[in-house]
Amino acid sequence: MDVLNNLYNGFQVALTFKNVYLCFIGCLWGTVVGVLPGIGPLAGIALLIPATFGMDATGAIIMLAGIYYGAMYGGSTTSILMNIPGESASVVTCIDGYQMTRKGRGGAALFIAAWGSWVGGTLGVAGLMLLAPFLANFAMKFGPPEMFAVLLVAFILLGSLGKGSFFKTVPMILMGLLVGTIGMDPLTGTMRFTHGIKELYDGIGFIPVAMGAFGIGEILVSTEESLIREIFKVRLRELLPTRKEFRASWGPIFRGTGLGFVIGLLPGSAHVLASFVSYTVEKRVAKNPEEFGTGRIEGVAGPETANNAASESAMIPFLGLGIPTGPAPAVMMIALLIHGVRPGPLFITEQPQIFWGLIASMYIGNVILVILNLPLVGIFVNLLRVPFRILFPIILLICLVGTYSVNASTSELLILLSFGVFGYVFRKLEYDIAPFILAIIIGPTIEMAFRQSLMRSAGSFAIFWESPITLTLIGLSGVLLLWNIYRAVRPKATWEKALEEGE
Amino acid sequence: MKTGIKLVALVGVLSLLMVGASLAADYPTKPITLINPMPPGGTLDLQARAFATIAEKMLGQPIVVVNKVGATGMVGGLAGAQATPDGYTLTVGSVNLTNAVEWEIANGRKPPFTRHDFIGIGSFTMSPTLLIVHPDAPYKSLADFISDAKAKPGQLAFCSGGLYGMSHLPVEILGHGAGVKFRHVPYSGGGPCLAAVVGKHVDFGAQYPPTTLPLVRGNKLKVLAVIGGKRLKSIPNIPTVKELGIDAEYYGWVGILAPLKTPKPIVDKLREVTRKVAEDKKFIDMIEEPGDEVYFLNGDELAKYLDVESAKIAKVDAELAKEAPKK
Repeated sequence: MDVLNNLYNGFQVALTFKNVYLCFIGCLWGTVVGVLPGIGPLAGIALLIPATFGMDATGAIIMLAGIYYGAMYGGSTTSILMNIPGESASVVTCIDGYQMTRKGRGGAALFIAAWGSWVGGTLGVAGLMLLAPFLANFAMKFGPPEMFAVLLVAFILLGSLGKGSFFKTVPMILMGLLVGTIGMDPLTGTMRFTHGIKELYDGIGFIPVAMGAFGIGEILVSTEESLIREIFKVRLRELLPTRKEFRASWGPIFRGTGLGFVIGLLPGSAHVLASFVSYTVEKRVAKNPEEFGTGRIEGVAGPETANNAASESAMIPFLGLGIPTGPAPAVMMIALLIHGVRPGPLFITEQPQIFWGLIASMYIGNVILVILNLPLVGIFVNLLRVPFRILFPIILLICLVGTYSVNASTSELLILLSFGVFGYVFRKLEYDIAPFILAIIIGPTIEMAFRQSLMRSAGSFAIFWESPITLTLIGLSGVLLLWNIYRAVRPKATWEKALEEGE
Repeated sequence: MKTGIKLVALVGVLSLLMVGASLAADYPTKPITLINPMPPGGTLDLQARAFATIAEKMLGQPIVVVNKVGATGMVGGLAGAQATPDGYTLTVGSVNLTNAVEWEIANGRKPPFTRHDFIGIGSFTMSPTLLIVHPDAPYKSLADFISDAKAKPGQLAFCSGGLYGMSHLPVEILGHGAGVKFRHVPYSGGGPCLAAVVGKHVDFGAQYPPTTLPLVRGNKLKVLAVIGGKRLKSIPNIPTVKELGIDAEYYGWVGILAPLKTPKPIVDKLREVTRKVAEDKKFIDMIEEPGDEVYFLNGDELAKYLDVESAKIAKVDAELAKEAPKK
């Protein structure tokens, strides 16, 4: 009853005209930074912090949080319609989302993405509300060895991300790992593969790489096909998902919520990892996984839900303990500090009006976002009626401006374009881009966790089986690995052979 | 012939100086760019923006903060050092910038710029870090901690939010001052590092007061000492390392720098404005609300402080560079 009482008080804070207005502005701006490729929630929040100088702390955090979870809604739009990831957590949505657009189901994909985002977001807030103090303390148990073990499991799952064969996935993963090592080694300060080029000191940004390899690569392939490519006509009644698509989405949406919520507790940009893991899990549990990559609704519903749930739970260490473990919560924490509010372990009990006001506003915000995004589906889909010869220079421009707007760096434009060519070449060679991108994300993180563990233990590997969490996870990754090998070498059943020959 | 060239040069320099003087009389006549080499959204960025909001009113021209991020501050710092010295491009100086430069030198590389490419306008904060441990740790005082560290050389592990930053160097300097060796585990940012101390993944750490003090109040952390020379208003019962006889003062400073050849009248005007900003009630509130303290140094004082600071970092960096794995 305590919770209901607090929530009632929270709604009294959040439902004032001013706070609903701020929540709406945050959600709107979040949708915008999500839709625009390049600029993501982190930059979106940082840009608006100075605008909060005149507000009270509650209003400020309501607006900034709105940007964070709002961006998860908008991110899927360009991924689905144009194969350009609008935001890092929507990279994996490109794979099946764009294929759905090519089949004329783009509207349905957008609809399901918004619907899944709402379910994931709302259940995520509920989890945040009920379990924040408990889970915040639990999240502290995740040190480098635990992190390494989790990533190891994710990494093995990653092997099945591509739609191609094992021999076409592994080289892409290795190449991604190599690209991920470029830049300053965060643990010793040694420069790796920078050749004295200052622009490479910070490594190769993952946003220009993903936008280049997916978006620009796609443009290059399309121009080659034909400048007057058929327009993906969408009729109004085709905007809505069919009953079959709805039914297929329930499982991915609920699994995505659970996975996203748990992964969101990990330090770093967990919502990106959450979307990838959700995709690979959906592919694992599906009856005919080979259809993934050809436009399956599950490949949109799962990841788009997971990144929303993860963005809510990523705020738990920050709200429950005052320890921001990811970049976006860290910026929100600074926004609270400016207003003289110092979040800590006593934050929820001492500042209930801020915490519960924020929780209530997140329920409201998720409703606002669904109302905001569903009509937008119709408008965005209409973009596809624009003739391709006009659309593709616009897409190119959006990619260039989007990349430049993040760091005002011309070298990142060069990276964008080179990886565009890279994406084109490897698509022609029928390799998958997604495992490459994911390896760039996971590689540096898993390396850091591994080396931090060994630095802590002075080189003793025993640190990896001292805690029950790591022991379980490393055991699980071993089982997964063996299962993969078994599946590759076992004699195939006759029906499987027939299926392969039939293809 | 040679005297001719000299004469021309002299006339040129004189006329430039005169242009400078006339420029300064009505400086500024157009918006000023303030380069921040660090990303938006950090404490440093907010302090720079607080400065810009107050100073632009005093100067009568807008100050635009531009984040030029890259290579741990090197990209923005270089742009600031190479900017036209006319007072219209200034740089946010901070401990990050000087640390990055010293580290390049210690590793035998030539940094693209040094603090001598700038002239200091003034700085407005000098924040010490706090030495923090988990409340279950068996230390009652800094003395306990140091004697334990001496008994187990190189075994007590600490986290930092990144190499050679404000949570790494103070600990190395403390170790240097007390004659003990610690084991360093870098993390990606201050938040993950705090989590590592709270979750007992490392033995201790050094962090700025604003994020640390709420955790101390909630009994998730214990402070052993202020790594500085003056006790903090918010925790008057915690001693400083200086009181305990260890020479390990080290502060995070934030200030304004101009390119070296900026005309003196403009520098004087900017210094005057910076001093007034540091005394402004609204500015003090903007800095002190989050838990920092305004501590003003004028340009000359800042230069003097930086000489001392650089000498200190150079010594520590040289030792670290020796231990770092060779390629």
